[in-house]
Formats: sequence, structure tokens, C-alpha cells
Amino acid sequence: MSASSRPQEVLSKVDAATVESIRAFVTSTSIGQLGLKLPTGLVVAGPSIASHGQFFENLAKALATDARSTCVKLTSDEATNLKNLLKTLIKKATSRNPDLDEDEDEDRDLVRRKGPKLLNYDLQILYNWSKEQSTDRVIVAFQDSEAFDGALLAETVELLHSWLDRIPFVLLFGIATSIENFHDKLPRSAIRCLEGAQFDVVRADEVLEQVFQKTIDNDNIPIWLGPSLCGMLLDRQKDHIQSVRASVDALKYAYMSHFFANPLSMFLQKDVTFKNVPKDHFEAIRNLPSFRRYAEDCLELGEGELVRSMLQDDQSLFEQITQNLTSGQQVMHQIVNTVELLFVIRNHIPRIADLSRSALYVKAVAGELDMQSPIMRDLLLSVKKSSSDVLSALLEDVVALDNKKLSSAVMKLQAQLKRLLDSSQGTSTPLRSEHHLHHSTLRTTVVAQKVELRKQKSNLSKKDSAYSEFLKQFYDLIEIYFSDTLINPKDLFLHEVFLYDLKSPHRDVFMPKPRFAIERALSAPHDYLDCECCVPAGGGLDEATLSSTQPATAILYQLYLESGSLINVSDLWSAFNAILNDDGDFDEAQVMALFQRSLAELKYMGFIKSSRKKADHVAKVAWKGL
Amino acid sequence: MKRSRLDDTPDEPATTPKKARTDSYGSDDEIATLQSTQATPSKRQTRSILKDTPRKANGATSVAVNGIANGLPNAVPNGLAKGDETPRSQRKVLFSTPTHTREEDKINGTPTVVRNADRSARRKSARRLLERNISDNLSDEEDLDGEDVLARQIWDEDEGSEDEVPGIAEEDLDAVVPDTPSKRGRGRPKKDPTQIKRRKRSPTPPQNLPPHEQYFFQNRPGGTKTSSNTLSSLSLLNHEDYFAQLKAYTDPHADAKGFLQDLHARSFDQWAFELRSGFNICLYGWGSKRELVMKFAGNLHHTLDTPPKIVVVNGYTSTLTLRDILSTLASQIVPKSAKLPAQPPALLDLLLSTLSTSSSPAPLTLLIHSLDAPPLRRLSTQAAIARLAAHPAIRLLATDDTPTFPLLWDLSLRAQLNFLFHDCTTFADHSVEVDAVEEVNSLLGRSGRRIGGRDGVGYVLRSLPENARSLFRILVAEQLAASEPESSHNANGDAAPDPNRDGDGVDDGMREPPTPSRRRRTPAADGADAATAVEYRLLYHKAVEEFVCSSEMAFRTLLKEFHDHQMVETRRDGLGAEVLWVPFRRDELEALLEELVG
Repeated sequence: MSASSRPQEVLSKVDAATVESIRAFVTSTSIGQLGLKLPTGLVVAGPSIASHGQFFENLAKALATDARSTCVKLTSDEATNLKNLLKTLIKKATSRNPDLDEDEDEDRDLVRRKGPKLLNYDLQILYNWSKEQSTDRVIVAFQDSEAFDGALLAETVELLHSWLDRIPFVLLFGIATSIENFHDKLPRSAIRCLEGAQFDVVRADEVLEQVFQKTIDNDNIPIWLGPSLCGMLLDRQKDHIQSVRASVDALKYAYMSHFFANPLSMFLQKDVTFKNVPKDHFEAIRNLPSFRRYAEDCLELGEGELVRSMLQDDQSLFEQITQNLTSGQQVMHQIVNTVELLFVIRNHIPRIADLSRSALYVKAVAGELDMQSPIMRDLLLSVKKSSSDVLSALLEDVVALDNKKLSSAVMKLQAQLKRLLDSSQGTSTPLRSEHHLHHSTLRTTVVAQKVELRKQKSNLSKKDSAYSEFLKQFYDLIEIYFSDTLINPKDLFLHEVFLYDLKSPHRDVFMPKPRFAIERALSAPHDYLDCECCVPAGGGLDEATLSSTQPATAILYQLYLESGSLINVSDLWSAFNAILNDDGDFDEAQVMALFQRSLAELKYMGFIKSSRKKADHVAKVAWKGL
Repeated sequence: MKRSRLDDTPDEPATTPKKARTDSYGSDDEIATLQSTQATPSKRQTRSILKDTPRKANGATSVAVNGIANGLPNAVPNGLAKGDETPRSQRKVLFSTPTHTREEDKINGTPTVVRNADRSARRKSARRLLERNISDNLSDEEDLDGEDVLARQIWDEDEGSEDEVPGIAEEDLDAVVPDTPSKRGRGRPKKDPTQIKRRKRSPTPPQNLPPHEQYFFQNRPGGTKTSSNTLSSLSLLNHEDYFAQLKAYTDPHADAKGFLQDLHARSFDQWAFELRSGFNICLYGWGSKRELVMKFAGNLHHTLDTPPKIVVVNGYTSTLTLRDILSTLASQIVPKSAKLPAQPPALLDLLLSTLSTSSSPAPLTLLIHSLDAPPLRRLSTQAAIARLAAHPAIRLLATDDTPTFPLLWDLSLRAQLNFLFHDCTTFADHSVEVDAVEEVNSLLGRSGRRIGGRDGVGYVLRSLPENARSLFRILVAEQLAASEPESSHNANGDAAPDPNRDGDGVDDGMREPPTPSRRRRTPAADGADAATAVEYRLLYHKAVEEFVCSSEMAFRTLLKEFHDHQMVETRRDGLGAEVLWVPFRRDELEALLEELVG
């Protein structure tokens, strides 16, 4: 799974910078240097709590590489009071060394026991241990500082501070809100003991953006994600503040399901040859909608012969497939490159709505970025109006993109612009194009009681007109480029193979609706069972109907739905019996057995609970569809 | 009586009912017609004053009279009956007014008249229904009287047109007609006439409400009127009967369920692939997924070249602890010689560190049935499982049964669990997960759950000496005697529905002395009837009298045996005296006594 390892790389790389800076901070501290204050790192990790665990694990790993320091991670649920906190702290710190044999450990215990017996929350233990190990520093990381009790935190800080002359403590606090908030939480006396530095962890959405970029922009990737799936992934990240890892997993799952469930994905293998493709795969290709369209297009172009050979000869179809796959992938590459270009250009243009790369990509892949779309029209208009200073910066960045198609032409333009600017060295104001607002004035005339607005170009200076001319060149260049590259990938032959855009497996697998599933199974069992006996009467669109053939629990559940918040089990039983024993072909005891089982199952599901209000009554707990 | 009269005159020239009646009540004729055509309320008022002054004066007597008239139509002398019936005929005229609305509109052009008439008709129909309900017991025969049908129709019309029916009439009606929810269903066979009648009268609940409206409708104040019928505990099956019946039962959907299983079994390869790729799997949906998961385990074991280690946890076992899970895992992971720590967290740490340090850990597949079962619901347990699941060397496949299981996990737990969810609705019975007999007993507060019901007690008694049996017999007999006088109002102790009972236990407290009713109410749900408890002293003396025991010491010893088997419960009553009782319902006690005596 090279596809999934790439985002992982990004993840660790993203964190690596912060981790490294924290490590540097930690190693730079030593006791003498900071005097009598606890060196403290305040790690502002942002609101996405789910990713904190991951980050701190990475951090602990990085810090553990230094053999002479010990890192202890504390979470709020391990430390309910000071005693517990110290206990866990000591236990975690002293059990850190896995190389020790059990026997050796016991020997050590014996050595230690020579002195007075120590309570297990006595920091003396830690002191003894650190002396033995000659530890340079003991790092205590509070992962979720917000969740700790303020008073407890203060006490801990003061206590650790009092031991600082013996045990070299370094504190790290994970902060989800803000430093100010943390500051308010601690009393002054505690804060006085701290001396710290602040570290910002890269925010989750930025990380995601980088990960996303990595998955679409690489020479080696065989498939791309389609617009609806991407949109869903990004929205999910935004709506549920989940860790970036979850999003990466979702990406990974997309690749997994494509290669697992779509047999045509085998054409994406680099070394696929005609021989090792099974025959039915070609049949499958011929049944693709995109194949049909392609064939029709070919016929329109008068290439009937090609279509015939594709339909009849697997070999020639295979050649077509390999050709079209590579060309399709190239188109996708270009789309990605264009998105990058768009992003860069948009960055330089003032007063334009902020759109992330991923959002642009989603639009581009959905085919929403053709020349008529408002986004592109706005952009091109703004380019037309831009002044020389904006443009030169823009050109520089475009060249830096190293876009194969554009770079030579853009470089030429850049040189041209430079000359132009050189020649107009004296003027302080940048050059403006003819479309710039500065150059047009509005003239109002009243003709037959109607106000007419007329735009009039004021005369351009020579240089400005030269600049306008130049801008026109650039404008034409990018316009042609955009209209060439921004095609809807769903129009391409074989897009089913290199573009994965199925929403449903993802939705089912990551956003399940268990309650809905169970309610549906019980209120409309026919949907699942598909038996002949329970076909809902009257076409049965969504209104479930009760019938004696349905599974017993389903019948009871539907009776349950009709009832009020308190249910008389005796009446429920008689209704149940009446329905199930419709034809009288059941023994009452048998129906009772079914009734008991169904009732017990409803209870197991948490739909009902016993009620103390009346005898033989149960209380309704769940309402369908709420 | 009335109906026949109407039937007698179908071919009268004037076919309106009021016309038909005019024949029978000759003298009323003119006024009645006049009134129906003009139909102003004031007119009606005057007329009613004219005609039924005695009735209006005290409604109560008129109701009674009406009831009697209804019930005993033939017993009343002819002339008297006529005199009494007149107001009813007048009411009929009123009800027929709506049919003339068009005519009236033409004449008066005032729709308010019609509305007034309608409102009045509605009020009267409510009264009519009320009367009829009160006189219900006396006259079941006359119930489907034409008038009543009409009254009901008018009532129902209004019911349908108005969302919130204001007024006392509705509440009264509700109070009289117990709103049995389960009886409201569609197309149920008509079992006995009283049921049919009742169903007809209970207002139909609004159909097709959106879920939230449904919630508020079902939780509306006063909306939870249920009947006081109780389930005879003899009709509930014990374990033996239950399993025998289920064994005899053939599921008509066996094929469809088998098909569902096969359908899910087809994704075994996919699941294995997902597990291999570092995800964990969670199966949800209706039906027991136990069999499916076990099949999957077998499939994993047989298809892979090197069968993985598979650990199965039955989460539904009520005595399961986290320690059990961890030590089972440890037996697979940690070398046998190693000493295992006793505390679960330490054990978990050991497990994880062993997994991390071993150079090429063979992945261990952990299958957990019912991850959301009560024994595993504690946060610490879920957190421990999540930590396990997060480890790359452990592949977790869990099933969840309840519809709200995702609430078990917060954001970070969920991230650790890294679940892929699959809908595996199997419709299979939860026969292993749920002990239906016990569950239902505990749900209904039957004592059976403690000692296996009456049979269990019988078993215990048989193994006890004669003395103990006698003591128990005395206790049961005393308890039955104590419960005797109130049995007709005691919802707990009474199995057979009493026809005279007024259908609602709410006013029990008013009829009985306050103390016992209060006492009874507290343990009501438990099935135990502390109100019928026997005082310790009394029981002791009785026992001594019957030579069951000679000293209090011996008495205590005997009682202790009962206590140990939870056959007897004790507590102090309001005066501080110790009372004892057998925690069974009346019918069960009777059966017990029979057994003991016989």
C-alpha cells in the first residue's frame, strides 16, 4: 500500500518539525541553566483533540531516543487526585526501561529496600531511581491539560518545583484552547514556578490540506479521487472534528475499495500484459458507459474500423486501453497542475474569495471550472485588470511552479515585463492595463429621461498601453491553457478505472446509521428478508404494514411503536396473540414463547425498561426516527 | 325499540327521521318540525324548558332514568316510557338539523346558526356518550342503538377536524374509556363484543405523525392511560416450557434468514482484507451476529495458510470482566513462564509491550461478541479494548447489538478503535445472548428471577425437613389470608380480571385506608407484596402453636434457610416491627399452598 504510506509520511513529517523544536527545547534545558524554575513547554495543539494522542505519542517516541531522559505521559483520567497522579508518575517513570530483566529488577528493589520503606507515591523513589539511572531529565507531559483539575495541577506544579533541586523535571502541557486560558487556570504561585516556551502544532486542517495535496499531486499515482467522494471526505473532516489520521484512513479505504472491488483496476498495474488479463475483463470494459461514448465519438469521426476492432479483437482493445489510460492519467495530472496554477494566481489577486487547493480540486474534477463558470470568469477578469506589480509577482510564482506546458512561454513574458518595467523606471506608480478601473471613467447622460451610464476609456499613456498589450498576451496564454486542461474527467474513456468516485461504501463504513438500520429491519422486515409472505400491502412504499407472517419481534416492535410511553404488557400480549394467531394455527403457549423472546429482545435492544408505576407495565424508552 | 320504529316506517312520504318519529309521538309533531327548520338555539331552549323541566332540574336523575329506560325497555309501563323518551326524541331532532343546513342557509343566510347547532350537537353527543358509558354495565344490549351511533359519528367528526380537542368532555371520555394503546392496531380480529365496543369508542390516534410529533403525542400529559389488566403469571412460560415450545416452532423465514447469512458470508474475504489493512471491523444491525462471526472465524482459520491466533470474547456473558479478556489474551501472547500482574491496567501494559517488542508478532485476531453488552459498557473497559484495538498486531472484529452503541465511545476512543462499520442484519434470534425467560421476569418484576420461580421454591422445600415446610405453609397461608379482603382492588394479587373493577387503578387510594395502599405501592414493581406481610411475632406464635418449633432460636434457624434461598423477605414496617413475606404474587402463592398442603 504505497498509497497509504505516503500520507503517513506527510503526517509524521508535519509533526516532525514541532517535535524537533520541542526536543531541542528539552535538551537545551539543564538544571543549572534555568535556576529554580521549572522549564515548561506549552504545546498548543489546537481543538482537534482526537489528534493529540497521536502527536504526544510521536513526541514521547522522539524524546525517548535520548537515553538519558525519561518521558512520562499523563492523562487526566489517570490522575484524579495528587496521590494518584504521583503514583502513576512514579510507576510510569520507573518501569520505563524494558531491557531490565525481572530478576534484576527485584535485586534493585532489594537494594532500595535497605532504606526506610517508602510509600508508592513518594517522590523519593523517583529521586533514587533517577540517581541510579543518572537521568538528565524527567519529562512530564500533561496531554490534556484542560481536563485536569486546576487546583490539582497547581499543587503538582508546586510539588514538582520543590523537588526540582533533586530531580530534573521538565514539564510539557498539551493545550487545546489557548495559552491565556491555561494561564487563567493556574494560580499565580504555580505560574511563578514555571518558565516556559510556546510551541504551535500544525493545525489539523492544514495538515489535511498537505496530505490531500500529496495524494493527488504525484507522478506515480495511478488513480484519483472523484469530486463527490472528495467533497464528502473534506466535509466530514470539517463537520466532525476528527483527527487527520481518520481522514487518512478514509483515503486509504478509498484506494482499498477501488483495488478490491473493481476488477478493472488491474489495468492500472504498470507491468500488466495482454496475456495475464482474463478475457472477461475485456467484456467488462466493453460494457462501460465511457466505452460506449468513446465508440460513438469514434464513429462520428468516421473511424468505424477502430470501433470494430475494439469490439471484436481483445488485443487491439488492450492497446487502446493502455493508450487511453496513460493519456487519461496525463489529463488528470494536468488538471492537478492547473489547480495548483489557479491557486497560485488566486493568491496574488486581491479581493477574491479564499478557496483552498482541495476545494479547487473538487470543483475541477467535477468539471465545474470551465470557462463559463463564475470562478474562472472572475479570475480572468481580475487578471485583465491587474497592475504590473501584482503581475510580476504572479509571474515569478508561476515560473516557480515549473509547469512544463507554460514555463517557457511565461518566462518569455516575464522577460518582456521586465523590460517594460525597466523602461518605466522613473514612475513610482505601477503600470495599469486598459481595463483597470483607474483608466475608465463613467459618464452619465440623460437621454429621454433615462440615465445612461457609459464607460469611457480615458487615454492611456504609452507605457500603459504597451502594458495592456502585454497583459493581453498573458491573458490569452492562460485562457487557452485553462480551457485546454480543465476538462471534465468524466468525459474521458476509462475514467471508471482511474477515477474513483463512489460515495456509498464510504458513507456506510465510516458513518453508519445503526439505529436507523435496526428500526428499519424491525418496522419493515420485508426490506431485508425479501420473502414472499411479508410483501407489504398496497405497493408498500414506506408505510410498513403489520402482518402475521412477519418475524415475531418485528410484530411486537410495531405494536410497541403504536403505544404510549407506558405499556401494559398484558394488553400487548393480547394484541400480539391476536395478530400472530390470526388463523388460529398456533398453540397459545407457542405464541407466548415467541412473545417472551421478542419482549426480551426488545429489552436487550434497550427499547423498553421495567416501570415501577403500575404492575405489569413497561416504560417505552426509544422513539422511532428521533 | 327505537330502531324498530324507524324501520317500520321506511315508506312514509316524508323520509327524514324526524318525520318518521312524528308518527309515533303525535303531539310533538308540529313543534318538532318547526324547530328543525328554524333551528335557533333560543328556540330549542324554550322548547326544552317547556318539555323537560324535571329533567333539566337535576341531570343526575335524568341520567339514571335514562339508563334504566335503556336497560329495561320492556319493564317500564308504556306511558311512562313515552314520557321519558320525549327528551331523547328532541335530541334526535337536533342531530338531524345538519342535514337541513342548505335549506336553512337559504332561509336565514346565517352560517352561525349551523355552527351553533353543530356545537350543541357535539356537546350533547358528548353527554350522550357519557351517559351511555355510565349505564354501560346495565345495558350492553342497547349499545349499538341508532342514537349512539349518531352521537359517536358527530363526536368523531369533530375529533377529526380539530387538532386539540378542548373541553372537559374529552377528558371525561378518556377517563371512562381506558385508552389501551395496544388495542388500537389495525385489522385485528374481533374477539369479544366488549372489546369491539371499546375499540370503537377510543379516539383513533392521529396517523402518520412525524417522529417528534409522535413523541409529544405519546408523552402528552394524561396520555398514558392504560388498562390495569395484568398478565397471569401462570401464562408466562418457565424455562422448560419455553425451550420446548421454541423447539417445536418452525420459523417461516428460515430460508430468507439463511440467505441473509450467506449474503454476509460473501464479504468474508473483504473483511479479512480490511483487517489485514489495519482496520478494525464493527458489525451492527438487527439479529444475532454470533453465528456469522463464528463462521468468519472458521473461514479465517481454514483459508489462510498460517492460521492466525483467534481469541473469541463473549461480551454478553454477564460475569465477564476485563481481567478475563486480558488474561485470555495474555495466555496467547505472553510466554507461559512469565508471571502475570494481577491488575488489569498492568496486564494491559504488559500485553502491549510484549506485542510491541516481539520482533515479528503474529497478528492476533480478536473477535468480541456484543461489545456493547452491559459487562463491557464501563468506560475503562472500553478504553482498554480501544488501546488493544489500536495496536497493529491486534485485529479486532466486534459486533454491536443495540441501536445506540456509538455513544459508548468518545472521539479519541473512536479514533483508537478505527472501526469500519458493516450492516449485518441477520434477523437471527438472540438465543444465546438473551435469556428470554429471565429477562421477561425481571422486566415485569416477577420474583421468579431469584430462585427460579415457584418450581424452584418447591424444589428447595422438598429438600428441607418437615418442620421447615410447615413453617413455610403457615407463612404462605397467613399471607394469603392477609391479602384476602382487598383482593378485588389489588392489582398485584389478582390474576383474574374483575368485571366490576373500574378499569383504572388510580383511585385505589381513595377507597382504601391510606396506609396499606401507600405501603403496597412502593414494592409494587417488585411483585413482592409487603402490604400482606406477616408480622414476625405473629408467625413465631403460630409456629409454636403448631409445634413447628419450640424456641425462637430454632425459629430463626428455619427462617435463615428461607432467607438463604431468597424465599422470604423481611423488613421493618412503620412501627418498627419486623415483618416477613414471601415474594410471590397471589396466584402463585395459592398454587404453592396447594402444593404444600397436598
